[in-house]
Amino acid sequence: MASTDEELVARSRTGDLDSFNQLVVRWERPIYALAYRTIGREEDARDVCQETFLRAFRALGGFKGEAKFSSWLYRITLNLCRDWIRRERRQPIAQAPEGVDLVELAGESTPSESIEDLVARKEISAAVARVMADLPQEQRTAIILKEYHGLTFQEIADMQDCPLSTVKTRLYQGLSVLRRQLERSGVNRSGLSGPTPRNHHV
Amino acid sequence: MCEKELLVAYLYDDLGDADRARFEAHLRGCADCRDELKALRGVRADLVTWAPFQPDFAFRMVREPLPAEGGKVVAFEKPAARSRRGWWTPAAGLAAAAVLVLAAAASLAHVEVHRGADGITVRTGWSASAPVSARSFGETSSASAPAAGRSKGETSSASATTQSARGYGETSRDIRLASTSDANVLAEIERRLNALEASSRDSGLRNASTLSARASDAEIIRRVRELLAKSENKQQGELALRISQVIHDVDAQRVADLNRIQQGMGRIDASVNAEAAAHRDLTNYILTSAKQR
Repeated sequence: MASTDEELVARSRTGDLDSFNQLVVRWERPIYALAYRTIGREEDARDVCQETFLRAFRALGGFKGEAKFSSWLYRITLNLCRDWIRRERRQPIAQAPEGVDLVELAGESTPSESIEDLVARKEISAAVARVMADLPQEQRTAIILKEYHGLTFQEIADMQDCPLSTVKTRLYQGLSVLRRQLERSGVNRSGLSGPTPRNHHV
Repeated sequence: MCEKELLVAYLYDDLGDADRARFEAHLRGCADCRDELKALRGVRADLVTWAPFQPDFAFRMVREPLPAEGGKVVAFEKPAARSRRGWWTPAAGLAAAAVLVLAAAASLAHVEVHRGADGITVRTGWSASAPVSARSFGETSSASAPAAGRSKGETSSASATTQSARGYGETSRDIRLASTSDANVLAEIERRLNALEASSRDSGLRNASTLSARASDAEIIRRVRELLAKSENKQQGELALRISQVIHDVDAQRVADLNRIQQGMGRIDASVNAEAAAHRDLTNYILTSAKQR
């Protein structure tokens, strides 16, 4: 029987590193994905991810359990990303490859997907990364938390310290910009047999 | 709630029954909202395609064994983790073991040479601040940090005989020498070292504290063995990870090759067809011109 986050946190607080490392294993992928989509650089996202857990471990005493452990981690990650963006004084980078690496693509492909679909998917993905990088930070963060981490509007509002309606407005504005920019960039979505949106896609 | 907020909530399926019914009624009469909803659903489908490359996560929290840190908790990244960037150091486990051995050696010998503005300082012997047997390895070693034992060492350098009677625990001393005469310095160092060694031996024979020293030696050896075994396990884990990576890479390469072959075959097919068509045209042309003649 796997322990809950809360049980692992309680054990970690007594200095039990194994328990904390279980939390690391459980959350490193979502945390890395959040950092990557927020700042757009693999190497820096990895550093942010590592730093998040280091800070979380040191600050465990201050975690009172009012929020979910994951929300608390997300908040640390977003703070670190904000520091990174401020430090680097630049917008996040859309790390979109110019050419399409077939080998890498093939590794990601599912047997049912044709190479054309795969290339189309990669093009859309690159366009999404580019447009997302240009969004205002609050809108981008709201979209990332909603689309890829499945947070509720209320959880996002708590994390962004803003009213519920502001979260919805940010989502609406961000998605509308994405829509216009993606249409303008003319990525070919029609040929794509197409994944359907899912809420908990990380 | 304004219309756009309703639209977003509906898009993410986050409306109560009443609001949902109300908005669906609105949708039936409003083509603009229907179009917008459809377009935003398309955007959401596009968003799904943006998946980051997932690296091999391999950092874990460890209690750092380095003596100077006093065993604080740090994040430790397994060397294989950044392999995508093109470097991989299988020797990291060995390096860790080497650090351990060095640390063990340092804590056994406890000889410290420090060159500062005011000359050379040599400190030897077990530090008085470290009752060896009772403490863990990391803490014992940390006691050898220059700052920790410096003043104590200076004050306890007065008399070798009285200290030796009290055993290892308090034979720590500093020898501070002016840097004017190196030969003198070296001679002095050697003399003091010899004296110290002799006193340690004497006190060791006479004094019960050797038992605790031996116990601490055994403890250190046990710890080093333990850590070496851990390092070995870790290396085995890395090997397994590496093998699974290779398998994955080979698989990916195979699929890519198959795709390339398929594409190539497609191209060949097309050109063969084109050529056949050209031949057919030519034959037709020859036949018609032959008939005309």
